[in-house]
Amino acid sequence: MNTNGKLLKEPTNEDLMRQVANGALDQLKVLFERHHAHVYRFLYKMCRDKMLSEDLAQEVFYKVMKYRGSYNNGNFVSWLFAIARNSLHSHFKKNGAPTEDIDTVGYRLAASAAHEEDYSHLQRALDRLAPSDKELIILNRFQEIRYAELALIVGSTEGAVKTKVSRALKKLKGFYFEAL
Amino acid sequence: MTDENHTVDAIPAYLDGQLSPKEAERLERHLQTCESCMKELQAYRSLFNAIDEDTDPVPTPTLRNTFFAQLAAEKETEGTVSILPMPRQKPKAWGNRIWKVAASVLLLLGAYGIGSYQQRTSAAREIALLKQEELQAKQSAMLSLMENTSASKRIQGVAYIEAFEKPDADIVRALILRMQQDENTNVRLTALEALSHFGKMPLVKTAYIDALAMEKNPTIQIALIQHLVQLQEKKAIAPMKALLKKEETQPFIKEQIKKGLPQLL
Amino acid sequence: MKKIMICLVGICSMFAATAQSDFSQSLDGVAWVKIETKSAIVLKTHDKATLLIQVAQKKPLPSRAKGLKLVGDGGMDNTDIGFKVVRSGSDLIVRNLRKSQKAEIFLPKTQNVSVTNTWNGNIYIEGFSGEVEANANLNGGLVMSGLSGPVTAYSLNQGITVTFDAVSKDNPIVLTTTNGAIDVSLPENTKANLELSSWNGEVYTNFDLERPEKEGLKSVSSKKVKGLLNGGGSKIKLNSTNGNIYLRKKE
Repeated sequence: MNTNGKLLKEPTNEDLMRQVANGALDQLKVLFERHHAHVYRFLYKMCRDKMLSEDLAQEVFYKVMKYRGSYNNGNFVSWLFAIARNSLHSHFKKNGAPTEDIDTVGYRLAASAAHEEDYSHLQRALDRLAPSDKELIILNRFQEIRYAELALIVGSTEGAVKTKVSRALKKLKGFYFEAL
Repeated sequence: MTDENHTVDAIPAYLDGQLSPKEAERLERHLQTCESCMKELQAYRSLFNAIDEDTDPVPTPTLRNTFFAQLAAEKETEGTVSILPMPRQKPKAWGNRIWKVAASVLLLLGAYGIGSYQQRTSAAREIALLKQEELQAKQSAMLSLMENTSASKRIQGVAYIEAFEKPDADIVRALILRMQQDENTNVRLTALEALSHFGKMPLVKTAYIDALAMEKNPTIQIALIQHLVQLQEKKAIAPMKALLKKEETQPFIKEQIKKGLPQLL
Repeated sequence: MKKIMICLVGICSMFAATAQSDFSQSLDGVAWVKIETKSAIVLKTHDKATLLIQVAQKKPLPSRAKGLKLVGDGGMDNTDIGFKVVRSGSDLIVRNLRKSQKAEIFLPKTQNVSVTNTWNGNIYIEGFSGEVEANANLNGGLVMSGLSGPVTAYSLNQGITVTFDAVSKDNPIVLTTTNGAIDVSLPENTKANLELSSWNGEVYTNFDLERPEKEGLKSVSSKKVKGLLNGGGSKIKLNSTNGNIYLRKKE
């Protein structure tokens, strides 16, 4: 719309990412500040592991930086979350069957006990959804990503995504009230 | 029946304000007569409320610090841009290439412009630039020292702060990270003292308060209490009272809190 | 007669073998040796590029544990002497799995070492020129001597005693204790910038401290003493919250 207006406007994500792609690396700091909490939260909601979420969020922004040349002027948020999603998937693919060292498990349990992580009722309901449904709900309802962008992230059409989200929401509602 | 199903499906969109006024009105009219749909509406509403109120942990400052460090490193080795294979989003090959050509032309033009400009700049300006570069070099040296595996090196990094009159937020954040997260007591303590020079920054005050809520080490607890009382930070009252209640808090800490609290109230 | 002697020697060596157990491992590519323990440890230097652990009295395994391995909360015994030794990047993690097992550990003089005691018993560290990090987070004390590298140490309750052969120029030395005393001996000619602070204790020294004098200003806090030794040099910081600080000339 009026991107060339004289009013001093906050640059859009896309403006910033284009600048980054052209070498203005410092603009990544702005993008990081705008989005890192969202990326982290998405990852945390999906895997519920603080350390892992932080590592993966790290990886996501590292990829954005490293692969800035492949940014194709598309919607930045979709691109960012597509990367986040890929990172998460490849992590689980790699570590599919968790054969963790007994030590790390011990540490993890101790750490989570210390922080008294309480899994809310809502979180437990979310966890009962299929991963693909859970992902849609988190992105759409928690991150407020619109259907059009969501479609880009998961590689589908707007209409299909809309239907899927509405079905997933119905299931979530079912689980949520079932146990209340 | 079909109509009813249709109505039920529209409820989330209605709550989100996504329906057209006409559709919304139709739904509202239906709700007045249909108890089951009204129940659905209430169920969705309370689910959405739960989602709105849901909170999650936030990332630790390590995320930012590590990324900014990676960014700084990347700037130094610029030019090695990798291409991310993204199966679903085919890069618009031509668009991209044109952009790159355009960018390199711009770069050339830019370089020319800078060249003629530089001749006109005064020596003072260059010195200022040099100083800034030196400061940046110091800053990156400091940041990297603070990540060292050696505690002594990390302490050295923290002590570098003396070289900065007005450190920027990155540096202060890195110090806060050391104070709150370093495994070594001496590193945490040194960072805490280094930060006391910037006690007026709200960032630092908040960091002290957070640290007091987390810190288990009595030597550091007492230093935090001392600084917070000196800063007249009223928000410190809550974590101080919490420490007072805890059984494991050492007696001399409790004594210090009892002395400090009245000065804040 | 000869036979009896041989027998005796045999018996003696057998006895020795049961009374003392060793474990040794190469330190190739190891930057830091990180020791975690819950009981007293003596750390000394030797001339080999290896880690050597000696456990004075190996606890006999209960007969039922035959063929089984000890599992502590720090992991599983992979040395057969109650220690777990694992490589993690360029660190070698050495974990003492028993709560009441004293041990002597030998390392090359220049090795960087970190020792953390989370329970009881003193840590003795002797003769290193590499970096030393020592933490006694509960009831143990720290006693170190013959050191010449950078040292950072913390002790909660039992204080820290260190004798330096020389003081590292480039790296700060920082020693902190909450409830114990700090007792440091330095060579008389040490050049250093000193910062000594005690919240509830006193500071004693037989060095001539050169106090940097600011015009008309005295040191703000009497709890903190800053001064130069022999014109200034390495940074040395000693903190005790509730104990005294003793700074002596090394004899």
